[in-house]
Amino acid sequence: MTKDDIYGKLQGIFDNVFMEEVKVTPELAAKDVEEWDSVTHVSLVLAIEEQFKIRFRVGEVESAKNVGDLVNLIALRTK
Amino acid sequence: MTSQTEPQPDAQGANLPHLKDLIRRADAAAFPLLVAETRRATQFALALSLNNLRKRAEIAGLGPTDRATLRVALIGGATLRPLADLVEHFTSMLCAAKVDIWVGEYDSYISEVMDPEGELYAFKPSVILVLPAAGRCQYKGTLADPVADQRAQAEAVARDLLDLCQSAADRSGAEVIVCNFALPPYFDPGPMRSSSLGSDYSFRKYVNTQLGLNRPSSVHICDAEFLANRLGTLRAVDDRAWFESKQPYSAEMLVQLAREVAETIASLKRPAKKVLVLDLDNTLWGGVVGDDGVEGIEIGTTSPRGEAFRAFQHHLLALSQRGVLLTVCSKNDHDKAVEPFVRHPEMVLRLGDIVNFKANWEPKSENIRKIAAELNLGLDSLVFVDDNPAEVEIVRQFVPEVTGICLGDDPSLFASMLRDSRLFEVSSLTKEDLERVSLYKQDAERQQLLGQSTDMDAYLTSLQMVGHVASFSAVDAPRISQLINKSNQFNLTTVRRTEAEVLEVMRSDRYEAFTMRLTDRFGDHGLILVVVTRVDGDDLLIDTWLMSCRVLKRGVEQETMNEILRLARRRGCKRVVGLYVPTKKNGMVSGLYPSLGFSAATGEAGRFILELTDEAHFSSHIEISRSDV
Repeated sequence: MTKDDIYGKLQGIFDNVFMEEVKVTPELAAKDVEEWDSVTHVSLVLAIEEQFKIRFRVGEVESAKNVGDLVNLIALRTK
Repeated sequence: MTSQTEPQPDAQGANLPHLKDLIRRADAAAFPLLVAETRRATQFALALSLNNLRKRAEIAGLGPTDRATLRVALIGGATLRPLADLVEHFTSMLCAAKVDIWVGEYDSYISEVMDPEGELYAFKPSVILVLPAAGRCQYKGTLADPVADQRAQAEAVARDLLDLCQSAADRSGAEVIVCNFALPPYFDPGPMRSSSLGSDYSFRKYVNTQLGLNRPSSVHICDAEFLANRLGTLRAVDDRAWFESKQPYSAEMLVQLAREVAETIASLKRPAKKVLVLDLDNTLWGGVVGDDGVEGIEIGTTSPRGEAFRAFQHHLLALSQRGVLLTVCSKNDHDKAVEPFVRHPEMVLRLGDIVNFKANWEPKSENIRKIAAELNLGLDSLVFVDDNPAEVEIVRQFVPEVTGICLGDDPSLFASMLRDSRLFEVSSLTKEDLERVSLYKQDAERQQLLGQSTDMDAYLTSLQMVGHVASFSAVDAPRISQLINKSNQFNLTTVRRTEAEVLEVMRSDRYEAFTMRLTDRFGDHGLILVVVTRVDGDDLLIDTWLMSCRVLKRGVEQETMNEILRLARRRGCKRVVGLYVPTKKNGMVSGLYPSLGFSAATGEAGRFILELTDEAHFSSHIEISRSDV
């Protein structure tokens, strides 16, 4: 799965999780999206695991500072 | 979830783009589609997006405007979001309600229930969902402890939890739904897992059973154990999500749990379905009885398909035994349609199990309306099942109140489809539920036996009728007089008599008079016949003969004649004379005497004569019991 594929799929998940329209970019972070609080963050992570059929390791998503980091993590786990 | 009867994960959400489009265009079709997609959804991401679409649809004003508001509080020993979002969505969709949600703090449920001044009660919930901490459902001790100790601890855990729920119900007036405990998926501790109540597995299982068996009526169980088993216990847990955000279960399991909560709330508000309307060909048996004949249909243990149909019938019978009324609606000739029920040895269902039988060539929607009307039940208590998608679709269009299930072409799945339909679930069974079926059956069985008009003799025999013949008595006099003065149709002479005159007939030697009560295996018809005869020289004259039309052509006419002949012989008469006095209403008996072998008297209209012979006797299917005549 290429990074572009991951960004494409991720955009679909963001569209489902957030009411507001959010454009997925590498620099995008939680503070940029009003709805992206700790609660929706949990939903987002669970939805990503389900849709990419991956399993994150405990604590590792916390280290991702923005969408770019998150995509790197997804890429790591989809290998 | 890969299963026999549920949509495959990949097939889910296929309608999402269409749904988004409908909402964008503020199309009213959006909401029903949203409900349908929600029913099917098992994926977490899909459920989230349906939740978002619902909110958008509501903002666009697409939801029903007359929805009631449900106030649902969630409390528990885990983080209750995103579960609460899912509960809100499923409840709103499956209960057609506006849902307000209040969520308790992580693992504060005990203090929230205990504080009468707290936020929980200030919210004024109509439903409280309790998700207890699995950590509190563990045996404190060793695997080797005496079972009695382990059992006592498990019972105490269950009792404490139910007491807590009862307090919440008492203080709030809300219905309380408590989740029981999913079983751990791990092998540990091996063989002792099931041979000691000290293992988490057995301990939780025992606590769950105790919760269910001892719940008070305002506390309802959300069966997380069952849901996790159904899903697979390995898939129900997510240890990472527990450590990171104290999620009680995996995302997939949260969806199952939320749907179950919604179903439970819905079942509190609406009654279960009462009537199952069944197609026949390729639904109850394989093949078409009209073409293949009763010998050619597939039912029974001689083929796998036949066995599947038979198993389906067994399930239907089980439903009937817990109060669901079985009815038939089939495009068939009636005589052919009933044949398998009457004489196919492998059929499980018999005519007596069907409370209403419609086999004809009218549209099914019409027949279904008739069934509801005849059973005096609302259309929304009916479920229609058919193997033919076209029939199901037509019924959906013309009788939308009726729930339609298309069984498809694999009879091995029919029983499972009904078992998973969630339409006939019961939270309790009352005596009335169980009696309802037999009550409807009494009426229906008479009708249906009559429906087999092909064999009238068999029908009459099967009724097991007993006629109770008795001379007039003072006790019966009011009823006799009432019948004499009320009966118009089956009444040969329409002679009226007061109660005093009836008593006079009773005491006079000139008269021989009697009544008959009729019972059959379905019940008592009461006093249905009055005869007054008068001795006139060599003649026994039938002064009065009237009968209730409800028992017409059952053989009562024949047995009445036998009784008259017996009395004539006893009184030494040589002839029986019948009179017919026509009125505007009694045309139905104008030919009665000729049909019983009387000849018209010459020159005297309405006078019929039967010469008494030793062998004169009429046969019927009524057994006669006699008193005092």
